[in-house]
Amino acid sequence: MTAAEGMTRGVRDLRLDFFRGLSLFFIFIDHIPENLLSYFTFRSVAFSDAAEVFIFISGFTATLVYGRSFEEHGGLYATAQIYRRVWQLYVAHIFLFVIFTAEVSYAIFAVRNPMYADEMGVGDFLEAPHLAIIRALFLGFQPNFLDILPLYIVLLMGFPLVLFLLRRHTLLPIVISGLLYIAVQLRGWAPRTFPADHAWFFNPLAWQFLFVIGATAGFSRVNGKWPFPSGQWLKYLSIAITVFCAIICLSWMMHWFYDPFPPFLAKQLYNHTIDKTNLAPLRLINFLAIAVATIAFVKPDSAFLHKSWAWPVILCGQHSLYVFCVGIVLSVLGHFLLAELYGGIFMQAVVNVVGIGAMIATALLLEWFKAAGRRPPGSRPRSRQRSRQAAIRVAPSESPQ
Amino acid sequence: MIRYLALIAVFLFAALTPGNRVLSQEIAPEPVPAACSVPHDLIEDGPRLPALARRFHAKLPITIVVIGGASTAGTAAGGEGEINAYPHRLEEALKRRHPDVPITVINKGIPRQSAQDMVARFAQDVLPHNPNLVIWETGTVDAVRGIEVEDFAAAIQSGAALLRQHKAEIMLVDMQYNPRTSSIINFEPYLDTMRQTADLEEIYLFRRYDIMHYWSDAGSFDLVNVPKGKQADLAEEIYECLGERMADAIDYAVR
Repeated sequence: MTAAEGMTRGVRDLRLDFFRGLSLFFIFIDHIPENLLSYFTFRSVAFSDAAEVFIFISGFTATLVYGRSFEEHGGLYATAQIYRRVWQLYVAHIFLFVIFTAEVSYAIFAVRNPMYADEMGVGDFLEAPHLAIIRALFLGFQPNFLDILPLYIVLLMGFPLVLFLLRRHTLLPIVISGLLYIAVQLRGWAPRTFPADHAWFFNPLAWQFLFVIGATAGFSRVNGKWPFPSGQWLKYLSIAITVFCAIICLSWMMHWFYDPFPPFLAKQLYNHTIDKTNLAPLRLINFLAIAVATIAFVKPDSAFLHKSWAWPVILCGQHSLYVFCVGIVLSVLGHFLLAELYGGIFMQAVVNVVGIGAMIATALLLEWFKAAGRRPPGSRPRSRQRSRQAAIRVAPSESPQ
Repeated sequence: MIRYLALIAVFLFAALTPGNRVLSQEIAPEPVPAACSVPHDLIEDGPRLPALARRFHAKLPITIVVIGGASTAGTAAGGEGEINAYPHRLEEALKRRHPDVPITVINKGIPRQSAQDMVARFAQDVLPHNPNLVIWETGTVDAVRGIEVEDFAAAIQSGAALLRQHKAEIMLVDMQYNPRTSSIINFEPYLDTMRQTADLEEIYLFRRYDIMHYWSDAGSFDLVNVPKGKQADLAEEIYECLGERMADAIDYAVR
């Protein structure tokens, strides 16, 4: 956690890609209901889950890319770049919305059984599609599974301001953002959605804090100064918190499977861990502890990052927007298949393997496009090893996603 | 008891008998209620209802109020009034099993209500009946509307506290299962919240979702391909089976 660590410009920190890739796999796995594999994801050993990892790393890499762009080409250019990204995310969101609408329309009209009258409420927007589509265009329509992109879009829209403040004083954004987070926890401020008058699944006013923490940490790669405390005490405290929370979460899971096993502190803690919408403080603390502990154990030059099994994960992290969208579509499709055909354990394994395989294939395809675009016409494609090194070399121009 | 393992058993069962559903469609188009049995673990799991047990033993009159949504109101099953709804089926089953205990089941199902909406009507719909047991079916509308799980948990906790204040014992009932709706509605967090909250508050949870899931996987019922004319028949059968299984649950909890 020293300022010098991984400060070298131009070398891509593969840890960011690796953990973002991993969080994308976990988001896919967790999005398939009743997926047995989801017991082996992040959320089984922590109050936080893959969403926190994704948003934190997105904040970090956003500063990495746009912060440097700001230094080199000025604020206007960086802002334009950010808004180009916002536009891509927005288009992706609308695409997912269309797929989701198709799926709901199909399911609703196929079921339309009075026995499921309460469930049919999910299709209420079909009765007022003119309103639903307009709300979708304004990010206000967030049916299930379509919640993290609107959050990311709103966070990036405010990002030029964060960059501007970061350059005034490194801690300025985090202080403002922290105060807003506290106000949200105390006053319950939240934007509302359609249908009906509900909070966003991920309240951007709360989640912005994690994004800004990530962005502030990422700024250390721009100005070379680590903005947070970095003593050994912090490392040990974080490890202690991580282990403590993991033991509690595991005890809850054990209790789930085997009733006589006591769920440690469940009465005291459970209510403080379920508020994902507003990023409950316990979730935030748990995640930050895990982040610090991870940085302490996993160095930028860790050997496993260069192992061949880690490479597909890293690749997915490097192309995270597309891989994320593919993952969401696949988890929706995967569950649809499990429900329609049959949900046996074998079929589940197939859906998991095919889904993750398709995510990796998407990343490979994008990598191939990029590499093909770089090499002179007519030349042979590079080997996997070499193109990976090339990807590391050209890091500053990498996309932030 | 071993929670959730039953569900895994269901998966294994489904995995080992892939053609089961098709087979059952062909040879048994109209399953009889006897076919709707479930593994014991799905029923015999959770805290007991000691006060209700004492009333059963003493053969004192028992009042049960069922509060819930559209599936509790049960109009989908047709018939006069609530005659085919699961609360009435439960009443029939209990009376048959305990002929010497005067049992009344009151149906207070109203469609499209969240857990919080229901708590708000406890005062006029539930408490005036001085129920010994309140069966509270909830969660569907909360999941459909994407109400914050924290608010959902808080509603259940406040509702449970209110009922206990009035000396009523509680049985929670979770959502209905349908393969199609479960892929478009994110039930998982709400199911988890209900299980955790029931566990923490020591409330018996009637796992309707897992039970119907089991029926669907085992081929007892085809919940997806229902011809228009057969919808009411299916609802009637499901409600009858749910009434029986709920009576099993009460028998377990008052044992």
